[in-house]
Amino acid sequence: MITPAGLAEAVLWGVANGCIYILLATGLNVIFGVMKLVNFAHGQLLMAGAFIAYETTKLTGLNPYLSILVSMGSVALIGIALEKFAFRRVRGTEKLNEIFISLGLIYLFENLATLLWEPNYNIQIESPLAELNLTIGGVLIDYDRLLAMVIVVVILVALVLLTKKTKIGLAMRATSQKSEASMLMGINIGKVYIFTFAVGAALAGAAGALYGILFNFNPLIGALPTIKAFAIIILGGLGSIPGAVIGGLLYGIAENTAVYLLGGIWQDAIAFALLIVVLIIRPTGLFGEKGD
Amino acid sequence: MNNRILGILAIVIIIAAAFVALWQFNVFAPAPSAEARKIKIGIVAGMQTVEGKDIDRAASLAIDEINAQGGVWVEEWHTKVLIDPILVDTVDDGAGSTAGPVTRAIKDDQVDVLIGGATTGGTLNGQIPAINDRVPFIITGASLNLVTRRGSLPVDNPLRINDTVGMSYMFHYCTTISDYSQTVAHFLADSVKPKLDSEYSFDSSRKLRLAVLHRDDGYGRGVRDVTSTIIANDNLPIEVVATAAYAPTATTYQPQLITIKDSNPDAVYIAGFTADTAEIIKEGINDVGLKSLYIAVEICEDPQFYTLLGATGDKQILESKIATQWQGNTWYLPQVGTYVESYKQKYNGIVPGMLGADTYDAVYITKNAIERAGTLNKEKVRDALETTDMPQSLLIMENQRITFSTGTNYHEILPKTFIEQLIWNSAAGELKPSVVYPTSMPGISSFKQSDFVLPSGYEPGSP
Repeated sequence: MITPAGLAEAVLWGVANGCIYILLATGLNVIFGVMKLVNFAHGQLLMAGAFIAYETTKLTGLNPYLSILVSMGSVALIGIALEKFAFRRVRGTEKLNEIFISLGLIYLFENLATLLWEPNYNIQIESPLAELNLTIGGVLIDYDRLLAMVIVVVILVALVLLTKKTKIGLAMRATSQKSEASMLMGINIGKVYIFTFAVGAALAGAAGALYGILFNFNPLIGALPTIKAFAIIILGGLGSIPGAVIGGLLYGIAENTAVYLLGGIWQDAIAFALLIVVLIIRPTGLFGEKGD
Repeated sequence: MNNRILGILAIVIIIAAAFVALWQFNVFAPAPSAEARKIKIGIVAGMQTVEGKDIDRAASLAIDEINAQGGVWVEEWHTKVLIDPILVDTVDDGAGSTAGPVTRAIKDDQVDVLIGGATTGGTLNGQIPAINDRVPFIITGASLNLVTRRGSLPVDNPLRINDTVGMSYMFHYCTTISDYSQTVAHFLADSVKPKLDSEYSFDSSRKLRLAVLHRDDGYGRGVRDVTSTIIANDNLPIEVVATAAYAPTATTYQPQLITIKDSNPDAVYIAGFTADTAEIIKEGINDVGLKSLYIAVEICEDPQFYTLLGATGDKQILESKIATQWQGNTWYLPQVGTYVESYKQKYNGIVPGMLGADTYDAVYITKNAIERAGTLNKEKVRDALETTDMPQSLLIMENQRITFSTGTNYHEILPKTFIEQLIWNSAAGELKPSVVYPTSMPGISSFKQSDFVLPSGYEPGSP
């Protein structure tokens, strides 16, 4: 039975789920926009973020929402290491090299996590708000999802301020538009790349911590969120942060309402059908611009 | 004269005693054959999964126990030989991951018997090399009986196997969806419905309102269909008011739970795996406000299910076949207690799961079959497995015996399952089970530990 309240709940939860995808897709987009690098192991950074937040909370008793900061910082450091010791080595060579490095990193991360934790042993970060929920006009939503939405908004605002109001943000934008010209203007694009990868990884770390609070997870969870994040950035437009936000929201809502209206088997079909429709109408995505 | 007779008698007795002593020490037994070698048992386990690790651990435990006793007697070699476990790592035990490792185990490692397999999809593919090469395979997972009944499928069904002889090498030592849906449906009719009727003054003619939430795969759809069939065939006072499916890749189940909530059920039967079932119960109670009675199935009889569910699982229901977390002064079956304690001791306190128990039994079933066959000849081992008749071990059997003859010649067992209610111990911060159904089991007169109670905050379906 379909009811207006049920539909509203499905949409609201879709927005909440979409928020996690937004963070992941934005990170992927920031890296692609500035470095033109496609990192297929981005979902594994989400997984790392979830485990770091889990262990931080477990070992120190820190509030899970504060552990998001630890997760962001730690995954940013992992991102710096990846950029410095893996991707930088093949920069300027065939794109295929970057792709294979990122594919190799998937296995490296998954196997490392499997060694450290049980293979598909699922765990979840215990939230102090786990059993609390709120009813707004007959629509029920839990505090964890509400807080997740607020946190994502705060992070995105901070990201916009970073890119618009800071010198490094200006350098990132310049590099994303014309890297050679930026270099000629005195921008150290090596440092910009490191910083960009750290920012993208930190966003994945935040997404991972939130994922771990809302859902249970294991070392092998990274693949599906990566595919969804790629779908979202294609939907919103490659390299566009507003595109990732709108794409993430549309994807989350489409996924959840499809299940509510049509049944569970339509979950992925409807969301990807939406992607195909958008690409047919607008091949560059909703906010994408024609490339070089 | 008397002395002479006594002397002769004494000599005869001494000679007879010496003969018996020599016979006792196998002096007259033929020397062990030069052909004697270790028995190679292939353990089919996806080591990327918790279930696979459990299978591997349980098999290793049983093999170590047997080897510590000198091994398995093989009559044609006139000696006991040790078992050499060959790990057949099927990674995630998915449909695409099993055939290769099983083929390698058969062709390269030359395994004598295969034991294990967790998922139906993986086993359906993994069993094909064993069928083709006539290798006895005791399947200790796979909750669909398709793994033994492929020969009976319609001719146009792609899963059908026409090789009747090859299929006869397959043995299923595991409960199926039919076994546990039977227990769940009868528990709902026998225990839950009367409780609701008395608690909420429902008319006795009112049927229990059941919702089924299942994975959208063969296993989930199978549970949904077989439950409806059992309700109809056994004429149970249960009405299925909603069914909803979810993709195996889903991470949230809220849209399905909203739909189910709108159907006003008395209970929600979940056909899922450990992680999704725990998430469904938590989302249903805490986030969607569906304060119902949730019933999980035996695959969730795993320590991680208890941990994931935590306090939210208080008074919820788990159908099971082996109570590895049994709470009581004495174990309901002593061998289950011995198994759990040995497992925990060998593996640093890890509590065994469900599929490992089947595998542990299967190793002993194999030992028994080889000793009766007297050879490692695969055809003779298959024949011996077919005539297995052993006392029940870790799983409870309907006639307290392990036999692979159900009267339909499918090499299946007749297991019994039961219902546990999960109880949250706030002092210990742990969720523990208590058996609430049935009252007794074959060979166990007082099995039930407590009466079924409704969870606090429970809201029944519409009158």
